[in-house]
Amino acid sequence: MKALPPCLRSASSRHGLVQNHALQRRQQLPIATAVLCSTHSKSGRRSFSVLNRPPPNYPGHVPLTGLERAALAVGSGIVSFLDPYRGDMIAALGEATASPYFIERLRRAMLASPTGRRILRDRPRITSSSLNLPRLRSLPARTVGGTYVAWLDREGVSPDTRSSVRFIDDEECAYVMQRYRESHDFYHALTGLPIVREGEVALKAFEFANTLLPMTGLSMLAVATLRPAERRRFFAVYAPWAVRNGLRGDEVINVYWEEEMETDVDALRRRLGIERPPDLREIRKREREERRRVKEGAAAQAVAS
Amino acid sequence: MGSIVLSGRQLQRPLSSLCRSCSRRLLPRLSRSYAAVSSQQPDIYDVVCVGGGPAGLSLLTALRSNPTTAGLRVALVEAQDLEKVRSWKLPPDRFSNRCSSLTPASAQFLDNVGAWAHLHRDRVQPYHEMQVWDGVTDARIEFEWTPPAAGKTIAYMTENLNLTSGLLRRIDELGGVTVFNSARVAGISFGEETEDLDLREWPVVHLASGQRLAARLLVGADGANSPVRAFAGIESRGWDYERHGVVATLELEGEGWGGDAMKIAYQRFLPTGPVAMLPLPGNLSTLVWSTTPANAALLKSLSPKDFVALVNAAFRLRPVDLEYMHTISSGQEEELAWRLQHTQFNRRAIPQTVVGVQDGTIASFPLKMRHADTYIGERVALVGDAAHSIHPLAGQGLNQGQGDVESLARTIEFSVSHGQDLGTRMSLESYNSERYGPNHVLLGVCDKLHKIYSAGSGPLVPLRSLGLSAINALGPVKSFFMEQAAGNGIKLF
Ligand SMILES: Cc1cc2nc3c(=O)[nH]c(=O)nc-3n(C[C@H](O)[C@H](O)[C@H](O)COP(=O)(O)OP(=O)(O)OC[C@H]3O[C@@H](n4cnc5c(N)ncnc54)[C@H](O)[C@@H]3O)c2cc1C
Repeated sequence: MKALPPCLRSASSRHGLVQNHALQRRQQLPIATAVLCSTHSKSGRRSFSVLNRPPPNYPGHVPLTGLERAALAVGSGIVSFLDPYRGDMIAALGEATASPYFIERLRRAMLASPTGRRILRDRPRITSSSLNLPRLRSLPARTVGGTYVAWLDREGVSPDTRSSVRFIDDEECAYVMQRYRESHDFYHALTGLPIVREGEVALKAFEFANTLLPMTGLSMLAVATLRPAERRRFFAVYAPWAVRNGLRGDEVINVYWEEEMETDVDALRRRLGIERPPDLREIRKREREERRRVKEGAAAQAVAS
Repeated sequence: MGSIVLSGRQLQRPLSSLCRSCSRRLLPRLSRSYAAVSSQQPDIYDVVCVGGGPAGLSLLTALRSNPTTAGLRVALVEAQDLEKVRSWKLPPDRFSNRCSSLTPASAQFLDNVGAWAHLHRDRVQPYHEMQVWDGVTDARIEFEWTPPAAGKTIAYMTENLNLTSGLLRRIDELGGVTVFNSARVAGISFGEETEDLDLREWPVVHLASGQRLAARLLVGADGANSPVRAFAGIESRGWDYERHGVVATLELEGEGWGGDAMKIAYQRFLPTGPVAMLPLPGNLSTLVWSTTPANAALLKSLSPKDFVALVNAAFRLRPVDLEYMHTISSGQEEELAWRLQHTQFNRRAIPQTVVGVQDGTIASFPLKMRHADTYIGERVALVGDAAHSIHPLAGQGLNQGQGDVESLARTIEFSVSHGQDLGTRMSLESYNSERYGPNHVLLGVCDKLHKIYSAGSGPLVPLRSLGLSAINALGPVKSFFMEQAAGNGIKLF
């Protein structure tokens, strides 16, 4: 095996086009231009002022001072709390709060696993072009690939909606963050949780217990924005499920998804020690029908009396 | 007269005159007079030392080199062939893997007894700086002498065989030691009472050859499994660390960051135990790596290049990388090359890169902590590893033995010059009280250090890095530790 140069392989070129609105919207953040893989220093956290910002450690990297990092965390935190669909803000919040401790922990988890180490060496990227979606659509429905693509199609999302990591100083940790972010949709497929607000919060709870990334925990604050019935269900059903499975299951960051496409999804869940949560869509549908029945019943009663 | 001389209890007159003038003259007479029973009569000595390791040889050297004790009749019993030690010789660029760091205090003692000059001095490497850091948190304590003391020696790295062969040459020069070479102790018992001699309270050493040696004082310098200690019924308590010490002679890319004049010792605490690299002359260093028995077995099974890679990794990579590299049976070199690209460290704060390991020098031994309940009994004294085994993390094992020997020789000298029987418990009491406490403290400190640093995570980890950083920030505390390491602080260690 060949050791890779210390830069995010293909991060900017091949997938430059998929960097979403988050990037364009915040161009006003100072972004250093000259990017040379071979020259960036290995040192991670250096102290500097805004006047002598050091060169980036990898393409797209934005070195931040401690104060800027804190401001970014607070600002993006507030915005994502108010609007959990702001993927860019959630991404920024994740990066601002993950380094250095939590992203280090996640990297450590990867380094402790032979598969995790292989991922770190190979640095695969998950995009619509790297995945061959038509092939996945031809796989049986019970395979990881089949479940994943069915989930993509059902939710109408694409693997290319993930923004690039910019605020993590260590170049390898930046890849870990990128990998975590790109694997996120597979977690949906693995758990079967939908991207409606309630499912998103439940998945975050699972991810928090599994990865311990602070952002995933912070996003759980969005539970406050759920409707009372949803919130009750979250605490009664999903939170216990998330904590139990997130903590007990293996680190999902160490799944080499690209190699698991043909694996039976139940077999993978068993291997990781994760049980499937109750299907949220089913429950919501049942509850809607229940409400309608109650309402119709009440109407019928009103008519009868 | 014989009974007066030999039964210590009845001794009224100064012993010095007795043992110097009498015991040697007495014996021929005894054997002549009792020719019929001479085969049952043991040879009688003032001091019989079992064990010709560093401790035993130092004791005999000390006794023979001191005019007050030079008249004692002394014998050495050693199971190994000392001829091999005496004729020990290696080419200048090859070093034995069993090295110890001798503190200036030990070196001073060896000089006082005239042995230091007999060591191959070009094979002894002084060092002047220590770098100690925590592999989990990277907290660092730098032991560097403050400017007034710059260039001061912390300790001397010495091959154990250089020391023992030097001691043997000094003993040969002094003469007067009856050496029972390649002689195993088959048993030890108390003597008998005959018409002229009451040896019932004297230990008698039975050799495999059938010879018997009666001892006014029997010294156990016979290592961790001391037969003398067993004879005296002294318990030795402690525990095994379930760790092995892996040793090897390493070749580095250069003679060290400080050059020849400023040699540096390095030690990094890993969750499995400390790994240390100590300087030898030129671009050589000696490795002492305390690790789990399974890891030690792996290290010994690796190809030289993968072994070298794992040693380099031990001073550079994260514990998680090291852990993984201990699960593969080859490919450490390549794994290291990859991880070095993603690991930050200050090159000049760690040892220079290891480029080779000398053939046949990779070995391991189990680590124990043991402490005898007492060092003395009636006509028995224990020194060195027979009295205590310590974790090697402070490099103090051999120095403790030298401290014992210095103290015991002084105690014997006092008895001789004050006309006491040198073998009685009462005469030996000052040796025990002088050495037991300090050894116990040092054993305890090293044991605690081992335990604290064996934790990879948990509440102790932040505390201990705080500990190392705090010590680093506090000049006086640091110089206290340095003085202790060099063995010239207050007599605690
Ligand atoms: C395998 C091994 C490797 C070590 N490596 C290192 C190292 O790299 N660095 C370090 O600092 N320390 C090391 N140590 C510890 C260090 O060697 C000891 O602290 C030191 O040797 C103690 O000296 P000693 O004279 O008390 O005992 P020893 O050196 O053990 O000497 C005891 C002597 O008694 C003899 N003996 C024992 N039983 C009998 C008997 N029944 N009859 C006759 N003779 C007997 C033995 O042959 C031996 O020569 C190592 C220890 C061991 C066992």
